[in-house]
Amino acid sequence: MMVPVRCFTCGNVVGEHWEEFKARSREGDEDPEMVLDELGIDRYCCRRMLVSHKDLVDIVSPYQ
Amino acid sequence: MELRVIENTEDELSIEIAGEDHTFMNVLKGTLLEAENVGAATYDMNPEQSGGQTEPILTIKTENGADPLEELEAAAAEIRSKTAALTDAFDDAAA
Amino acid sequence: MDEEYDVEFIEREERSAKFLVRGVTPAFANGIRRAMIADVPTLAIDEVRFIENSSVMFDEQIALRLGLVPLSTPPNEFDEDDVVTLSLDVSGPATAYSGDIVSSDEMVQPAEENVPIIDLKDGQRLELEADAVLSTGKDHAKHQGGVSVGYRHLQRVETVGDRGEFEDVDPEIYRGVIQEGDELVDTEEFDHDLTNRYPDQEVAVEDVEHAFVFSVETDGSMSVEELFTRAVESLDARAAELEDAVSL
Repeated sequence: MMVPVRCFTCGNVVGEHWEEFKARSREGDEDPEMVLDELGIDRYCCRRMLVSHKDLVDIVSPYQ
Repeated sequence: MELRVIENTEDELSIEIAGEDHTFMNVLKGTLLEAENVGAATYDMNPEQSGGQTEPILTIKTENGADPLEELEAAAAEIRSKTAALTDAFDDAAA
Repeated sequence: MDEEYDVEFIEREERSAKFLVRGVTPAFANGIRRAMIADVPTLAIDEVRFIENSSVMFDEQIALRLGLVPLSTPPNEFDEDDVVTLSLDVSGPATAYSGDIVSSDEMVQPAEENVPIIDLKDGQRLELEADAVLSTGKDHAKHQGGVSVGYRHLQRVETVGDRGEFEDVDPEIYRGVIQEGDELVDTEEFDHDLTNRYPDQEVAVEDVEHAFVFSVETDGSMSVEELFTRAVESLDARAAELEDAVSL
C-alpha cells in the first residue's frame, strides 16, 4: 500500500527515498540501478524494497 | 542482575547470572580465561525449548588455591578497566 | 591482556563509519557488536492515540509506520520510563510525512523528514497523538540504533615471491581492510581482488590478531561515535553491577 519505512531485512530507513526513486525511474526514464546507486541504497536487501514496491492507495481509496 | 550461587567449593563456583545474555557472558568468560589462576571458565545457556534453564550459568574452576568468587570480582574489574581504556582510545581517534 | 588499545578511522560519515580497533579480544569485539545492535536504547513511538483517521489504512498499520520512524535520541537525557509526546495533524489531499510530526521536546525530532506515512485523499484526515519511549533493540527492532553493524579481522598482506610466468591466475577475493606494512588499504580500492593489486606476485594473507575493522551504520537516531561509546558504556555498566553484586 504505502512504501515500507524500513528495509525488512536490515532495518535501514528506505521510505524517504521512495518519491524520488519513483519520479526518476518509474515516471522518468532513468535506469533504476543508477538511481539507487545515487540515492546511496547499496545493499540488495534495501534495493529490493523500492524496486518491488507498488503504491496501492489510489487503487483502494474508492472502496473506503 | 540477580546472582544465585549454585555450587561453591574451594576451587569451583557455579553461579546463575539472571538477566544476562551472550553479549555480556561471553565477554566475562573471555576475560576470566585471561586470568592466571583460572583454569577453566564457561557459561551455559540452554534455551527453554531444549528443557534447560533460561538464565546463564557461569562455572569457574581455579588453580593454585585462588578463590573463584574473588576471580569473578577481579574479572568484572578487568572488564571495567578495558572499557575505560577502549573509550579513551576511541575518543582520541574520534576527536 | 596488556596490549594497547588503538582506534583509527578509515571511513567516517555522519551515519556510517568504518574504523579499526586494535587490542580487543574476539569476545570483546563481539560483545560490543551485540551491544550496539541490541542494548543501546533509542526513542521510538510506542503508543498512538487516534483522534481521527479516515485514511485507507487501519490505525494499527499507521502506528507501526510511525514506530519505525527513527527519532533523534540525545545521550543521557532520557531514562527507560520517560515519555515524549508527539503529534501529527494532516488533512487531505496531501501526504503525511515524518517531517510533519510535531514533537513536544525540541531534542527529539524525526531523524528523517521525507518518509511518507500515509497518502491522504480528498476529505481524508489524520490526527493523532503519540508517545515515544526509550527502549532497546532487544525489545523491538524499532529501538535498534545500529543498522548493519559488523566487524572483520584486519588482514596482513605480504608478498612472498613472484608468480610463475605461465600460471593461471585465480581471483583472490578479500572484503574489508588489509594492512600492507604500516598502511591500511580498503579492499574497495582494488575491487576486492588481490590479483589486481599484485598482478605478478604471490601473496600471503593472514589475520592480524586482536585487530578488528568495525563497519557501523546507524538509523539516524544518533551518531556512530555515540552508538559505539554507549555500547561500550553498557558493557561497563553490567561489569560494574556484577562487581558490586559479587563484592557484597
